[in-house]
Amino acid sequence: MAKKYRLGIDAGGTFTDFVFSDDERNVHLFKSTSTPDDGTLAIDAGLQQISAAVGRSVDDILADTDLCINGTTVALNALIQFKGVKVGLLCTAGHEDSIEIRLGHKEDGHRYDAKYPPARMLVPRYLRAPVRERIRSDGKEHTPLNEDDVRAACEMFRREGVRAVVVSFVWSVLDTSHEQRAAAIVREMLPDVFLSVGSEVFPQTREYTRTSTTILNAYLGPVLQGYVNGIDAYMRKRGLHAPVQYFQSNGGMATGRAMAQKSVYAINSGPASAPQAGLYFAKPLGIDNIITVDMGGTSFDITLTQGGRTNISKNIDFLRYRIGVPMIQVETLGAGGGSIAWIDQSGLLLVGPQSAGAVPGPACYGRGGTEPTVTDANVVLGYLHPEHLLRGRLKLDRKAAIRAIEERVAKPFNMSVDDAAYGIFRIVNNNMVGGMRRVSIERGYDPRDFTLVGAGGAGPLHITALAAEMGISRVLVPKLASGLCAFGQIISDVKYNYMAACPMRLDANTDFGVIRSLYAGIEQEAIDALRAEGFKDADIVIERSMDLRYVGQVHECTVELGSMEISSDTFREIRARLDRVHKQLFTYDEPESLAEVVNIESTVFGRVPKPEPPRYPEGGIDPAAALDHQRDAVFPIGGRIQRVPTPVYDGAKLLAGNTVTGPAIIEEETTSIVVEPGWSAMLDPHGTYILTHA
Amino acid sequence: MSATVDRITLSVVRGVLETTQREMTLTLEKTARSSVFNTAHDYSNAIFNHRAEMILQGQDIPIHLGSLMPAMKAVAGYFADDTHEGDVIYHNDPRYMGSHILDCCMYNPVFYQGELVFWTVCKGHVTDIGGPVPAGYNPDAKELYAEGLHIPPLKLWDRGKERKDVVNFMLSNMRARRDQEGDLRAQYGAVKVGERNLIALLDKYGVKTVQACIDELMNMADRQMRALIGSLPDGVYEDSALVEDAGHGYGDLEIKARVEIRGDACKIAISSPPQIPYFINSYAGNSVSGVFLGLMMFAQVDPPYNEGLYRCVELDLGPKGTLCNAVEPAPCVNCTTTPMETLADAVRKAFEKAAPDRAVASWGHANGVNIAGQDKRNNEEYVSMILASIISGAGATAYMDGWHACGPQCCFGALTSGDIEVLEYSYPIIIHRYSLMTDSGGAGKYRGGSGTVWEVEPLDHEMTVITFGEGRRFPALGAAGAHSQLDDAKVGRLVVNTPAGEKIYRENVVVTIKPGERAANHNPGGGGYGDPLERPVERVVDDVKNGIVSVAGAKAEYGVVIDASTLAVDQDATRRLRGQRAAA
Repeated sequence: MAKKYRLGIDAGGTFTDFVFSDDERNVHLFKSTSTPDDGTLAIDAGLQQISAAVGRSVDDILADTDLCINGTTVALNALIQFKGVKVGLLCTAGHEDSIEIRLGHKEDGHRYDAKYPPARMLVPRYLRAPVRERIRSDGKEHTPLNEDDVRAACEMFRREGVRAVVVSFVWSVLDTSHEQRAAAIVREMLPDVFLSVGSEVFPQTREYTRTSTTILNAYLGPVLQGYVNGIDAYMRKRGLHAPVQYFQSNGGMATGRAMAQKSVYAINSGPASAPQAGLYFAKPLGIDNIITVDMGGTSFDITLTQGGRTNISKNIDFLRYRIGVPMIQVETLGAGGGSIAWIDQSGLLLVGPQSAGAVPGPACYGRGGTEPTVTDANVVLGYLHPEHLLRGRLKLDRKAAIRAIEERVAKPFNMSVDDAAYGIFRIVNNNMVGGMRRVSIERGYDPRDFTLVGAGGAGPLHITALAAEMGISRVLVPKLASGLCAFGQIISDVKYNYMAACPMRLDANTDFGVIRSLYAGIEQEAIDALRAEGFKDADIVIERSMDLRYVGQVHECTVELGSMEISSDTFREIRARLDRVHKQLFTYDEPESLAEVVNIESTVFGRVPKPEPPRYPEGGIDPAAALDHQRDAVFPIGGRIQRVPTPVYDGAKLLAGNTVTGPAIIEEETTSIVVEPGWSAMLDPHGTYILTHA
Repeated sequence: MSATVDRITLSVVRGVLETTQREMTLTLEKTARSSVFNTAHDYSNAIFNHRAEMILQGQDIPIHLGSLMPAMKAVAGYFADDTHEGDVIYHNDPRYMGSHILDCCMYNPVFYQGELVFWTVCKGHVTDIGGPVPAGYNPDAKELYAEGLHIPPLKLWDRGKERKDVVNFMLSNMRARRDQEGDLRAQYGAVKVGERNLIALLDKYGVKTVQACIDELMNMADRQMRALIGSLPDGVYEDSALVEDAGHGYGDLEIKARVEIRGDACKIAISSPPQIPYFINSYAGNSVSGVFLGLMMFAQVDPPYNEGLYRCVELDLGPKGTLCNAVEPAPCVNCTTTPMETLADAVRKAFEKAAPDRAVASWGHANGVNIAGQDKRNNEEYVSMILASIISGAGATAYMDGWHACGPQCCFGALTSGDIEVLEYSYPIIIHRYSLMTDSGGAGKYRGGSGTVWEVEPLDHEMTVITFGEGRRFPALGAAGAHSQLDDAKVGRLVVNTPAGEKIYRENVVVTIKPGERAANHNPGGGGYGDPLERPVERVVDDVKNGIVSVAGAKAEYGVVIDASTLAVDQDATRRLRGQRAAA
């Protein structure tokens, strides 16, 4: 292949970001406006930009692209807005209510709260159909499958217009035959519904977790399927040979076909790549404690990475729904450039979580939006130049921004437009600080031990204010900030994650052949897929882990095994690792107790070479040569909100070593960095701004 | 606040305390052997300062946490100067402010640079504590000696060395020793994880700063409660609630609460009938929990939760020898649910008289089962309380319907009932049903949450089923004019099906069932809020469609006439019926 391009596409609620790396490892960032009804329109618009920049046709570029990765918030947004499909559940009779009983628990933090509502049911009770059947805890059949119950339920689902069906029976992980037979009947009677089967989506013990995970999968599956089909068809038509890879919540990738069947893996696909990208820029500076914050048009996503490791959650409640599959821990809230400022009944000014999205967008977009948004406030405050965004391709109507803030906030509150705009700025900052506290302080991490990485189109506007609130004195803003997640995707490895239940004792008499063949079984599919995608065996890496516990416990310790062969030779080492992990986590171990295997898990990586970081020419401290103009911007100085003349620098002209002292604004093509008074910003040779507080 | 403490440090310290408590809880859950610990969350962890004051209450079980305050002081006072680095103290005795003997507490003094700074404490419901009846709930006990092993404050570790003879003595008195031993290690892990985190906190900020932060956190809680109490009109407010006769023959027993509000402080005085020779007496430590739960249901204040909350409260539990201030030899194993939930109701209702707009309905009271038998899979004896069998409905509030399946009131949503596959893996049983119960939620403008039914059959062995609690005759109390018609659907019961037929128990019993036979424990729903005739018709229809309310219930309780086959509402008949009821 003559050229080897790599393309990361991250579809957010407002913008779709494109990170494009060419065969010389130059990395470019492009942005188009998201088109929620048909994601391919935004992609087409972005590809046109790339085509213009590279000087080749879109079809030629795609033909030479060997890796095209798509991260999407389609599934997440569908869940937040309850826009999944109507789902029917086939479950073991007597156990229709496990998803509503929710283990009888009310979330911590709301113990005495009389106003906290129960979670909304994704499958209402009348669509949960009991089926007489039962497998016992030893895998034996207790009650055979009653096929009439399945058929009657299918009739009911048809009458009710159900679009997706879940089959999830008790102990199906030990014997899948009842689920398989019921699924066959569903396929025969309702050939057009989206079908998800518990033992396929999440083959692990725990009925509630499995059923809940499978329901989410079915609720979101058709939505994601529609999205993926559209993208795949478009890309094929335009000449992309390799299948589009979709980013998953666990930090890996999968093809569209695999992804649509397992939509629950995609729920938080967008922001899951942020830690990788953040570390890419932080590590050369010797930093591996980072908090990444990504503020786009609609949402604000936070991740925390300590010592280079980002926590992965399993079996957690995500947006109040139990999900078993592993996910990178991301805290998300509805705060973005498009977040709408509004006054509630009691007269309080609030910002978000409603967003003006891409359509109509903020008032200043001039697309019919009349509600004041955070972006409107940023325009009024002088932080955003109406003519400079996306090199002038996105023109902002400053007058419309002023009008919206004046009408909806300043007049009702009888205050100046500047004060109202600054109020919106402060309130949205406060919301974001709340989220940052949840991932750091509330989990016992002192934010002052971390470097903040600012990302997203809107993030750098707020970043010094957020850092100050958190007591953080060092901030990184990569030039690629507004496409951080898309960049994270192209530097990620292809990754397939498989698991299997494997209940057995772990001792010298264990039949290790059984475990080996289980591993081989789940790994072969991934290896075949990677080979088909062109990975050489040398670039395929397997990392195994086992969920182990002492006999009598019901929760497991995950023990990392790397690529270790599982045999009677290594069993002592495996056992010793369980004791070690147990002691590390819980302060004690039980070396004399019997141990057992619960699940096995394998992650199969296709290693992707990482692009070299770019090098920017060096200059001195003085940034004067990059000074573009001076304009009034609003800052709190001496305890007062003031409009002060502020130097604005053209990021494209800054040289490595140039240091800008606040108050100042640095304009990059896709974002602007607000350097508040007391802060300074220096460009490092790799294209990262290092902001420090005096 | 001390000048050395900034807002960020204060928040970080608070965050570390909360995380520490959560990690203690997680440790217990992840490492324990019995289902009560590893799936059902019937345990609580707390952190105390050097003065034995609770500095972090956490979000765990209310009934555990209130009593830990006096218990910690009793234990710390018992050893006083004889407390050393590396000691680990154990205790369950109601005579030393314990709640009931099943709740075994581990107290770990945390020393820093030779000084006692904290206590990490783990309280958990062990599945057995000896005595004649497995799982401890002996309805025939006339004295506490007949309930099981009493452990006064006792060192299990002495200056870092495990006292193996003492541990062995204790375990030798308990059934299912392997589980008990594993659970004891789990408790040890919990308090030590707490210690590890707290030492790291002290290393980072120093004792002085950390203590200044903690003092401020307690002051914040104090200010919050005082602000609430101060907003209530001064005066004396009284109310009462009934403990039902669950088979003891002493009749229904009335607990009275008298609340006197003066400025930003209050005095709560309890009076209750003389103690009885049945296991529902409550010693002082446990009663403190009941009173504070009633107060918190009323106050609904935001965290931080710590002992500062109760500084403005003076408490009088009534004369010694009464139901809520019991003394030796009164038996008390059932006290953490009965009469403590009724005590909480009485206190809450008295407070509500000072602020009727804050009224909420009661949650279903606990009535549950323990199971025991011989597990043929490993030839070991098993015994466990089944928390999945006590999940009742939450009470409705002025804002919304009660949560389904969230009680009982004494646990207030803090339990997790456990996954049924985990329970079936742990015990030789098959769970045929774990579902919501139609018509069990109290009727009201806002409906009470549904209770649950948990139905079990033993596999390959005979199983003993031991019930406890109440809520089988009196439905959960409604609020603001709520009233129900189908009371029998709203209360709990044990239904046993054998070839001889169906038998319904509304008292505390010990029964044995064989494979092929089933025991189904029904739990009460929560109380309703407001007049059921004001509930919008479409919400009643929605409940009927989902089987939460029956067609008959819609008519009898809400005056909504619905066609059973089409679910269509007969608007005229509904208007007529609602009109008649309103006029009546």
